[in-house]
Amino acid sequence: MFESVDDVIARLAAQKYICSRRIGTVVYLAVHLEKPILIEGPAGVGKTELAKVLAGALGLDLIRLQCYEGLDEAKALYEWEYAKQLLYTQILKDKITEIVGGAVSLKEAVDRIAREDDVFFSDRFILPRPLLRSIRSPQRTVLLIDEIDKADTEFEAFLLEVLSDFTVSVPELGTLRAKHIPIVILTSNNAREMSDALKRRCLHLYIDFPPAAQELEIVRLKVPGISEALAGQVVDAVQRLRKLDLKKAPSISETLDWAKTLTLLNVERLDETVVNDTLSTILKYEGDIRKGHEELKAYIEKRKATAGSGVADEKEFLH
Amino acid sequence: MDAKIIEFTGLLRENGLRVSIAEHLDALRAVACLGCRDRELFKSTLRATMVKRAVDLPVYDELFDLYFSGLGQAIRQSATALMGALQLGEAEFQALMDRLAEVLDELGITLSELAQALLQHDAGRLEKLLRQAARASGVERIQRAFQEGRYSHSTAQHLGLGALSEELQQLRSQIGHASLSQEEAQALQQFVDRRLQDLNDLIKHAVRLEVEKHDQLLRERRHLTNLAEKSFYYLSEEEIRRMKEAVAKLAQRLKNVVVIRRRKAKRGKFDVKDTLRKNLQYGGVPFRIQFDRRVRDKPQVVILCDVSDSVRNVSRFMLQFVYSLQDLYSRVRSFIFVSELGEITQLFKESEISDAIDQALTGSVINVFAHSDFGRTFRQFHRDYLAAVSKKTTVIVLGDARNNYNVPQEWVLRDIRLRAKQVIWLNPESRPTWGFGDSEMDRYQPFCDVVEECRNLNQLYRVIDRLVS
Repeated sequence: MFESVDDVIARLAAQKYICSRRIGTVVYLAVHLEKPILIEGPAGVGKTELAKVLAGALGLDLIRLQCYEGLDEAKALYEWEYAKQLLYTQILKDKITEIVGGAVSLKEAVDRIAREDDVFFSDRFILPRPLLRSIRSPQRTVLLIDEIDKADTEFEAFLLEVLSDFTVSVPELGTLRAKHIPIVILTSNNAREMSDALKRRCLHLYIDFPPAAQELEIVRLKVPGISEALAGQVVDAVQRLRKLDLKKAPSISETLDWAKTLTLLNVERLDETVVNDTLSTILKYEGDIRKGHEELKAYIEKRKATAGSGVADEKEFLH
Repeated sequence: MDAKIIEFTGLLRENGLRVSIAEHLDALRAVACLGCRDRELFKSTLRATMVKRAVDLPVYDELFDLYFSGLGQAIRQSATALMGALQLGEAEFQALMDRLAEVLDELGITLSELAQALLQHDAGRLEKLLRQAARASGVERIQRAFQEGRYSHSTAQHLGLGALSEELQQLRSQIGHASLSQEEAQALQQFVDRRLQDLNDLIKHAVRLEVEKHDQLLRERRHLTNLAEKSFYYLSEEEIRRMKEAVAKLAQRLKNVVVIRRRKAKRGKFDVKDTLRKNLQYGGVPFRIQFDRRVRDKPQVVILCDVSDSVRNVSRFMLQFVYSLQDLYSRVRSFIFVSELGEITQLFKESEISDAIDQALTGSVINVFAHSDFGRTFRQFHRDYLAAVSKKTTVIVLGDARNNYNVPQEWVLRDIRLRAKQVIWLNPESRPTWGFGDSEMDRYQPFCDVVEECRNLNQLYRVIDRLVS
């Protein structure tokens, strides 16, 4: 496990995930206090990614539960394999007849079958879904419950039970206790407010868009071939775009997509045509693109003006 | 430290953050785990364990800074200021304090705790004493800034300022009598005097900090709740801006509620055919029961908004509401009128909500400076748009029915009602004034299914809630 907050940051960085101290603190606490983390924030700031790299950094398995409307216990926890049970009864018909064979009354026959019924409700026929899998896992796991806000409120209430004591009761098998308490990460895009009960059980982490310096670091790390000047310009431009009133602000993953696109196209620096052609990688609405275009046009012109005035700047661009 | 965290938690609660006991315990455990040496780390530790809503974050940040550094910083600043005033460097300042301690030793004087903390510049201890005194004086009950004086006085009493100044007075004379050079004695005496003055300022500062803590952050919240009850008539520019945000939030909330409600209502009767088909995989044994899916009609809405001066704000928020909830309706057509009718459905499709509303209300569609004429508007609607009203349509008229003594033409409303599912009239005037002066409300009322007063955001919310469900 982690030794200190700085250790968390360093090990996540080794997985190519750059995080602030705030994120590091919460992760450290979650691992040590064995509490789930509820991560909120705009789309594309690396909420899901955090779970993945955390699993990577600790060398644990990641079990992912993607939430959606209508997700129920059967899909999240466990399910009996009806088809398999039926198949077995069909194949074992003779054996069953044999068991019931000597019975004189119907009651006796039923009793005899009942004696055998735990064969059919055993581990063999249970189909573990993510939650049960992570609870029964022989070693500690990272359990990612993604986009919990998409699930129904009933499901949230059900999760409370699992998250507070990490036990699951299967009527036919009894109560299953987690061998190792998993590191649980819940993510939410704020489609709706989570219940207070759930929040109370979790550590809360709000990840926002990173400041320019941090985003630049991320771009450099994730897009290895990018030139220093271009990376700076891309981040600058994206940060400017986020300040606009857009329907959907560009996320970090989109910044990376854009940076990758630009390196693929062998672009040395941003100019109007390049922006024109590639803006659709970061802005996804017609209206946004129009606004973004105007903003970036002004930005490029301003840049040009300052670049033209000094030779030093020009040099910086060249390398 | 635990005591301090407990107090801080109380402060958070007072300012409207919900911190449960479980969360509080988590915070204590977390701090025990990480320690409180690193200020930034400490801050994020408390934040992760106790602050669970993104909207509370700014309040938390502010409170944290106020609580965990406000007073301590002031104490350090006062020392720095003193250094400046005495024209001493840090080392010299320290030397002065050391010299004072030596002199005290020689004279065999033991100072009180407070005097020691003050004269040895023990910021931590001084802060603790100040805080205790402030609490003893009941400063958290302070409500207005002008009570500061009274509470400062009481805090000073609890701190034992009187005794301190006597003690220091005595100390001064003792220093004077001690075998010190004139210069040195003066420097020490001056130092003691200055520290006493500083303490006075610090007491005031401590009380002021309390006032800020309890007052400033509550104000914000109170403002928002009040806004929902405030009549649309009296909104300032700033409030309109904030109201826009409030409406957007309410709309989002309503949307979530309605989506859940609709999904629940969707489950209908047992569906034999579907059940059989779904269970084929289990050999026809019905393990999975299927139900009908009832399809519920989304409402179709036609809105007629009066945008004359008197009711413009209501119309603004009504339109914003309806257009934020666009996908809960199958079809919305909106019209605005003063003395003539103009359709703005298209305008809303093409531009952003707030832009569209601004355009509509500033006269680019119809003349908004005319005198209201409901009769003429209704006739125009009857002539041009009656086809828009069908059996599924809810017609909403938003206006004060002040017709400037024109012909009311209430027969149009009767016709509309015959064709429509229902007619709702929302009047932003208070009920007792209906029918007086040029208000034609009494004539229109018989032809409406629902007539509601709609003066503030809460009322508007209720009406719309009823409409979509």
